[in-house]
Amino acid sequence: MPTSACITEASIRDHVTRAIKEVFSTMLSQHVQLVDPAKLAGDKQWPPVTGKQVQHEPYVVGTVGFIGEINGLMYLYLPEKFARFVTSHMLGMSESEVVAEGDEVVNDAIGELTNMTVGVFKTALFDSGLSCRLTIPSILRGTNFSIEPISSADRFIFNFDCAGHRLVADILMKSGE
Amino acid sequence: MRYRILTVDDSKTVRCIVRKAFKSFDCDIFEASNGVEGLAIASKETPDVVLLDVTMPVMDGVEMLTKLKADPQLKAIPVVMLTAEGGRDNVLKIAKIGVRDYIVKPFKEDLLIEKLGRIIDLKPLADGPAKNKSILDPCDILVVEDKPVIIQQIQDGLSHLQWKILGLNQLGEAIDLCQRQVPDLIMISLSLPDDGAFKLFRLLRTNLKTKYTPIFALVVKTDAVAQQQAQQMGFSATVTKPIEIADLEAKMAKAMNLDTSPRYFSIDKEFFTMRLPENCSPTVINEVNNHLKTKLAEAVNAGLSRAIIDVQEVKSLNMTIIKLLFQTMQTCRELAMQFSLVGNAQIISECKGFEDTRSWTFFESMTEARAYLSAKNPGNRFDGDVRPMAAAPAAVSA
Repeated sequence: MPTSACITEASIRDHVTRAIKEVFSTMLSQHVQLVDPAKLAGDKQWPPVTGKQVQHEPYVVGTVGFIGEINGLMYLYLPEKFARFVTSHMLGMSESEVVAEGDEVVNDAIGELTNMTVGVFKTALFDSGLSCRLTIPSILRGTNFSIEPISSADRFIFNFDCAGHRLVADILMKSGE
Repeated sequence: MRYRILTVDDSKTVRCIVRKAFKSFDCDIFEASNGVEGLAIASKETPDVVLLDVTMPVMDGVEMLTKLKADPQLKAIPVVMLTAEGGRDNVLKIAKIGVRDYIVKPFKEDLLIEKLGRIIDLKPLADGPAKNKSILDPCDILVVEDKPVIIQQIQDGLSHLQWKILGLNQLGEAIDLCQRQVPDLIMISLSLPDDGAFKLFRLLRTNLKTKYTPIFALVVKTDAVAQQQAQQMGFSATVTKPIEIADLEAKMAKAMNLDTSPRYFSIDKEFFTMRLPENCSPTVINEVNNHLKTKLAEAVNAGLSRAIIDVQEVKSLNMTIIKLLFQTMQTCRELAMQFSLVGNAQIISECKGFEDTRSWTFFESMTEARAYLSAKNPGNRFDGDVRPMAAAPAAVSA
């Protein structure tokens, strides 16, 4: 049975990058750029948002899991302001209309955005011989939090720039049963 | 026929995108957030097509599709699956149950429109708003022409209107623009290289957004072959170069179903005014004639009893203009409206030269005509042509 060890970090990076680029380009007409990890350490504007680092800025985090020959979760971290920007572009609303509609509309849009991204990622896994199904999306919101994986999971974190905002994809993977 | 589309998706965002995609088409959108709700709405509303998500709580899309196809009343409804899981096995699985088509997320709104447009004959809502548009309202016109001078001629010639005329010389740019915002009318030069005009025309006609947009062919007057080809292709109209701007404007107004009457008729609190333009071509006279009785009836209905017929801008008289003026005065009489004529020296002089118009009298300004009509005793029933008062200094009497 294939395991997450069958997939290299480079191929995961490629799959995630392609998925995010495709979703943001199709749904939002926005260009997304993978950030060179070497440039992250000294980045004062966008300090790392995962790991043991506590978030001080309000974030909206979309999560969708994949279950099957490979199991895992993908988190998409969006600063709240960027989440509103994304929602307004997806729904054809102004940002003030998004604010007036409340958190629910942003949660739903980010959940769907994550679902689409993980859907494209899942198709790439399938093409690599790893079949799996998606879970329904969920949303985490707040400040001053961190997400920690269990020790047996592999973790891959990729940072992206889009429209002057930072987007982070955090993937936790474990081989299937 | 107004089509009914049912979108079944647990994501409000996706349902909102679907609603947004079809808002400019003549169709009703029904929404359900899972398979159970979807089946209930399908039974009640009998939609013409169902757009169905796969992964949903309560009842997923595959189960709903299976139940739908097992129901004799609903099994004929075409279903398009919308799925975030685009793997081959997944697509094959849903194809076996009997879907008409499928769309893999992420998707563009245009793809939704294209796929559903293959199943139902989507028509834009344009019939509604376009009918209410007047010639004086802003319109977006796209001219695809590789000769800037022609674009400039059209822009200059129509500058008296609030129409935004955008000239492009590249097919790609024109296609992109039409995707972003559909113009009210498109003109394509048949002189574009490599049969570009016909290629663009075919593309625009196969795109649901521009399927019903008027498209004119711009062609040299002597090129009969190209004109015939444009007609056979189904261009809405052919405009020949050199361009007759008045003729072009009339064709464009007709193609866009614009109300041209505000150009000739106006109503204020006291007066109904009919104003003929400088260039009274047969097209213009025909337009005025078409609106005349309706507009006068509207004025009477609004409580007006005074009309001003303004021909100050007309350079010269001809029989069609004279006939129109006779017709207008006769209609005013039938409706018991008092009226007066306003003209320039040339028109007044020409009128004196015809037996039938010799007795017509004119004011030289709208102010004088208004003052004269206002001074008339409103209690007196009007019994013939209005003549200026003797005291009216600017009046030119026959």
